Amino acid sequence: MKFKAFLTENGVSLLEKRFLPALDKMGKICHLFLNRDRVFFLHNLLNGDGVQSIAQFSKEALFDDYRISSQYDDCIAFTVDISLLQRALRSSVSICTEFGNGPTANRLQIKLAKKLTKNSTQRLPFLTFETKGYKSAVIQDVPISSPLSRNQVLELQTALDMAQDLPQTLVQVPDLNQLQNFVDRMRHVGDLLNISISKYGDLHIQISTTLITLGAEFQKLLVIGEQADAPSEDRNLSAQTRAARAVLRGDAQSVQVSVKHFGKSLQCHLAKPDCAFYGIALQGACLTLVFQFFIPGTHRLDKSISMHCRLPVLDQGSS
Amino acid sequence: MNASPSESEAEEAPDLVCQLDNVQGMVDAFTTVRWKRHQDAVVELSEHGVVLIVEETGCLQAKVYLQRELFVRYEFKGHGRPRFGVSLGLFVDCLNTFSVPGKSSVIEIQYPGPDMQLLVKSVDSLESCIYAEIRTRIPDTVSWDYNFEPAGSTPISFTVKSAALKEAIDDLEWPGSSIQISLQPNPPTVTFRGEGHGDLQIDFTYYVNTDLLVAFQCDRQVSYRYKYKFLRATTSNIPSAVIKDNRGSKLTIGRGGLLKVQHLVSVARPTTSHPRIDSAGYQQPSRIAYIEFFVKPEEDEATIHD
Repeated sequence: MKFKAFLTENGVSLLEKRFLPALDKMGKICHLFLNRDRVFFLHNLLNGDGVQSIAQFSKEALFDDYRISSQYDDCIAFTVDISLLQRALRSSVSICTEFGNGPTANRLQIKLAKKLTKNSTQRLPFLTFETKGYKSAVIQDVPISSPLSRNQVLELQTALDMAQDLPQTLVQVPDLNQLQNFVDRMRHVGDLLNISISKYGDLHIQISTTLITLGAEFQKLLVIGEQADAPSEDRNLSAQTRAARAVLRGDAQSVQVSVKHFGKSLQCHLAKPDCAFYGIALQGACLTLVFQFFIPGTHRLDKSISMHCRLPVLDQGSS
Repeated sequence: MNASPSESEAEEAPDLVCQLDNVQGMVDAFTTVRWKRHQDAVVELSEHGVVLIVEETGCLQAKVYLQRELFVRYEFKGHGRPRFGVSLGLFVDCLNTFSVPGKSSVIEIQYPGPDMQLLVKSVDSLESCIYAEIRTRIPDTVSWDYNFEPAGSTPISFTVKSAALKEAIDDLEWPGSSIQISLQPNPPTVTFRGEGHGDLQIDFTYYVNTDLLVAFQCDRQVSYRYKYKFLRATTSNIPSAVIKDNRGSKLTIGRGGLLKVQHLVSVARPTTSHPRIDSAGYQQPSRIAYIEFFVKPEEDEATIHD
């Protein structure tokens, strides 16, 4: 089992400034899954109760001179503490910038290694960051779990394949910051959030307890996938009635998720996506939040980077 | 979904429909009187405005006055002064979700809704809408009567910068238990004194601290003791944004030692310019919410029945 690659400048800035801060909010520990072409950061894929997040990069988006080999179809997976990864990366970057700017002298190499430590007689697995400066080299070892067995990798691969399905209707989130602000304040009022998404481009979120009902409706959002025209007779109804009628008509789906999970998923805006979409999976299996990234300076989708979250559904809602 | 349009049309017009363009001001005003996490409040509506009343049985009462001039629209159609009870914490948390930082959002408040709820909704955007329905309850019929009367011919009062008052009361936490507030005319001085785990005395001398003690009125020496936790409730929850406005709080001692503490909270529409640079019309008096606390003194031999 071998993995060795050089992080590109772009790769470093993507991870250090955007993705690791976002992923850190999703949970301390994640699976890092590498294959011949792609690198995945995965949260909660093997245990069902938290927010699943899937961030994937083509190897070119982060690395050059990418070399990987393993007995299982050249796939390697292990768990790692994101905050440690972030720290190692950050200090490597500061060393790189400190020591000149020769073409190859200060490249940041990352590789899998087994090393003996003070406290153990066995050799333990590490992800090693090696920075060669002008006169010195700095090596940082980030402890990782033992690489997953062939069966565990297969299990992770299966879970990943299952998590790639997209909902039939996706609506664009109006303003992630504003929505996050709203949800942060809303969480004082209750724990469960009802969400309905319609083919008309309506997003309706609501907390309802015995003492209070608090909700927000966003209309005329951009729709991807199945869409329909909003019936004109619904125009003057209340937001709640409108959402309920759309569900009855089969033009909307409604699910219930935890406010905490919802707030967490919105933290992904730290990765600075160019747009975000919400959708409900078939039969209300989960609430999916899809982020899109553009090629810098354009409005074209950057296919080498993708990220989405799946929020577990607590109740089938009214659908 | 169970109320058909014809039913709701047949209903009477609500007692109150009003619109406000500064939710944060309302949140600040209500937060000032929120001294406990779970606290019931009574709201009284009239043609003059909205009054919110909170009390701790028999010892402490607070009132927030939101005059009708604070609202951009105020339509009162009720009879007399309709009252309803509501959870203050829930009401504040709910209003807070309507407040968007750096943006003045217009909300509409209506009472009652079809099921006697308090209805709140945002009205400034066509494409998005925030709404809330808060369950109300029938208020307790008897509330302690805080009949505040001046003691003697000239009222005994002083006005101190809210920040200084808050700081003084915070400092008195150390001795705790009961705090004695004394006023003497010569030299004009206000003294806060705590004797508990230790002794602490804070003096505001009128001629020395004119920037802190803004006004002083007292023709004879008076002295009353108040429970620390009630005194603390009068200042501990003033939002820091309100403290930064650098206004004064007025304290008046009435008959029997009943203490009245008055604060002013701005409900002005947030301006883009810096408020202190804004020289034209500093802040109109009509854009101020008035807050009053009434604290009963501790009863001891000296102060029973006067």
